[in-house]
Amino acid sequence: MSILSKIREAWVGIHAGRVTLPYPAQPRPVAANFRGRPIFDPAKCIGCGGCASNCPAREILVLDVCQELRILKYLGRRCTFCGRCADVCPEKAITMSHDFETATPAISDLQQQIELFMSTCQRCGRCFTEPTPLEKLKLSGYRFDDLANERWVFRSKSFLEGAPPVEDLPLELD
Amino acid sequence: MVAREKLNQLKARFGPAIQRADLPADDRLYLFVEPAAMADICQCLFGELRARYVVGIGADDRPHSGSFLVAHNFAFDTDHLLGSVLTYLPADRPALPSIARHVPAANWSEREFRDLVGIEPVGHPFPKRLILPDGWPEDAHPLRKDQPWNEVPAGYDADREFAFDDPPEGCVVVPFGPFHPTLDEPAHFRLYVEGEVVRGCEYRGFMVHRGIEKLAESVLTYNDIPMAAERICGICGCVHNVAYAQAVERAATLHPPPRAEYIRTVMLELERLHSHLLWVGLACHIVGFDTLFMQSFRIREPVMWIAERISGNRKTYALCVIGGVRWDITPELKAELRQVLTQLETEWTAVTHAIESDRNLQQRMRGVGIADADLVRKWALLGPVARAAGVAIDSRRDHPYAAYDRVEFDVITASDGDVWSRVVVRALEVFQSIRIIRQCLDRLEPGPLQAEIHDELPIGRIGLSSVEAPRGESHHFVMTGENHRPRRWRVRAPTYQNLQGIPAMIKDQQLADMTITLGSIDPCFSCTDRLEAIDIRSGQLRVYSQEDLLKLAKDQWQ
Repeated sequence: MSILSKIREAWVGIHAGRVTLPYPAQPRPVAANFRGRPIFDPAKCIGCGGCASNCPAREILVLDVCQELRILKYLGRRCTFCGRCADVCPEKAITMSHDFETATPAISDLQQQIELFMSTCQRCGRCFTEPTPLEKLKLSGYRFDDLANERWVFRSKSFLEGAPPVEDLPLELD
Repeated sequence: MVAREKLNQLKARFGPAIQRADLPADDRLYLFVEPAAMADICQCLFGELRARYVVGIGADDRPHSGSFLVAHNFAFDTDHLLGSVLTYLPADRPALPSIARHVPAANWSEREFRDLVGIEPVGHPFPKRLILPDGWPEDAHPLRKDQPWNEVPAGYDADREFAFDDPPEGCVVVPFGPFHPTLDEPAHFRLYVEGEVVRGCEYRGFMVHRGIEKLAESVLTYNDIPMAAERICGICGCVHNVAYAQAVERAATLHPPPRAEYIRTVMLELERLHSHLLWVGLACHIVGFDTLFMQSFRIREPVMWIAERISGNRKTYALCVIGGVRWDITPELKAELRQVLTQLETEWTAVTHAIESDRNLQQRMRGVGIADADLVRKWALLGPVARAAGVAIDSRRDHPYAAYDRVEFDVITASDGDVWSRVVVRALEVFQSIRIIRQCLDRLEPGPLQAEIHDELPIGRIGLSSVEAPRGESHHFVMTGENHRPRRWRVRAPTYQNLQGIPAMIKDQQLADMTITLGSIDPCFSCTDRLEAIDIRSGQLRVYSQEDLLKLAKDQWQ
């Protein structure tokens, strides 16, 4: 009987009552292990660059200004809050916060930059102990990522013998 | 054993054309064959041995073997065997006979490797472009290794419009999409309509092709790719995440610990729960029944919340790394999850009882968008579409992965093959998912979450992995390579096959039924994005009066 089915459907709806939450008037607490935007602790960071190497979105840049000075910059744009940086950090200098309401007209609100005095490590990144051989640093030694234009300096390489390597393309940046 | 048996059958038939074979496990068979014999072997597999076509893959293997590679994957579902037929093609003449005449389901796959790798399927029945825009130069193939990932080739004309075929005589073209209220993602259908009846269509999709495979082969590394893979799809992200990890693990013969396998199973079933609830809601929304749309979403919400509590995010779980999982299910979460399942079961039982005799719904859904068993086989349709036609295929049972070989569940089927059957199948599968999760929670044994990996992964190995997504089987092909990244990674989402069946499903139907037919395969264009046309009978133009239309409508709905 179709009418019976309509009554049942109406019951499902009435029975449920009101379920809409008063968010955002009242904030809704998130789960304990919720992954919001990552927070970098400059006091703990040793500048190994493990996070930068293992970020799937390539959102962390490393620039070696000179032998002693290394800059790490978190871009906060494509970041998907996957938490891989926090996983691989040997010093637990990265925590996934509960902060997810990150809409902003200025991206710099989300960006974090750490300037580190490096004593010995920057040549080899040896302070980074990879969990498995799969996390090994892809780029060790000096790195010269483009902080101003916010991108990895990535040399596209032609894989075929004899073909000339292809230089980076001028990207249109906003 | 089965793999050996099939190999012997093929060897007896084709002899020296099979150059070598690799049987890494009982459920996998890799055959390396001569290019000339490829079409015959595929025809034999599909026609005589009744294998299901899975996907075709083209790869540029020149840096390693100096040649191009083509693979056609097949599945023997009742024998629990996945196989791949591979052949190497000379670098100077990458062409081989097309198999699409014998195996219709290979239509898109062949056009795809023609576009992306530049391997010509000679004698293809419909050699139109599939993925690349029309303004893309003829000689630039994005998946070739000498094409950088970030280069736009010289001569690319972004403004050039797509060339459509002429509609048949007597038909009017009704454009459907790229943006349409019932499409969640862009895709364009040119419907050839005669009066109110759809006589055929031309499909143009791949508007959100993001080149994620190229990115994986040139920039990302093994453990980066799972996080990119789950962004292939907004609903079955976890499916792609797990399928990729499993394909690599297959290739590298890594075994994730049992606890990781159970957690993967739980998360995959949670994803099926929320996807089925969402889809039943959306299907009702498309036919204008918003009450159930709202209620499905309400019932779905606690599933999202528990997923958030387990993984830290309501949708993108970032679950797998190679060799294991990242999130654990603690005893507290276990208790909470059981509670959510109990509540979901009660509420969903009420909904299924309510809609089972709803005539309005059935009038819109019964006898609409029919895909029978023959169509399922022809186009290798998958998932609920196949099961609704009575074809009992389910990767969870046929090609067990994660912990599915240790849990009990039923494969739900229906017999009519119409939209209503699909609703029934998906609504009832919810209860099976609840059953699977409960069993997993009972058996979750303590142990590590990740396998120990001491060495770099071997190079040049092949891994196949099928994971039953809510919409059907998602298939991943991985060939391992240098620099911690795969040489070739190919993703075949279920919509890739199911969309190919749409022209046949909507033919001779009311225009108004187009939306729900399309909706019933639960199309996911960003998964597929990767056209189709069928020819139709050209009929004479008929003009319907309002009375005629009303009469037709009444005839149909009584």
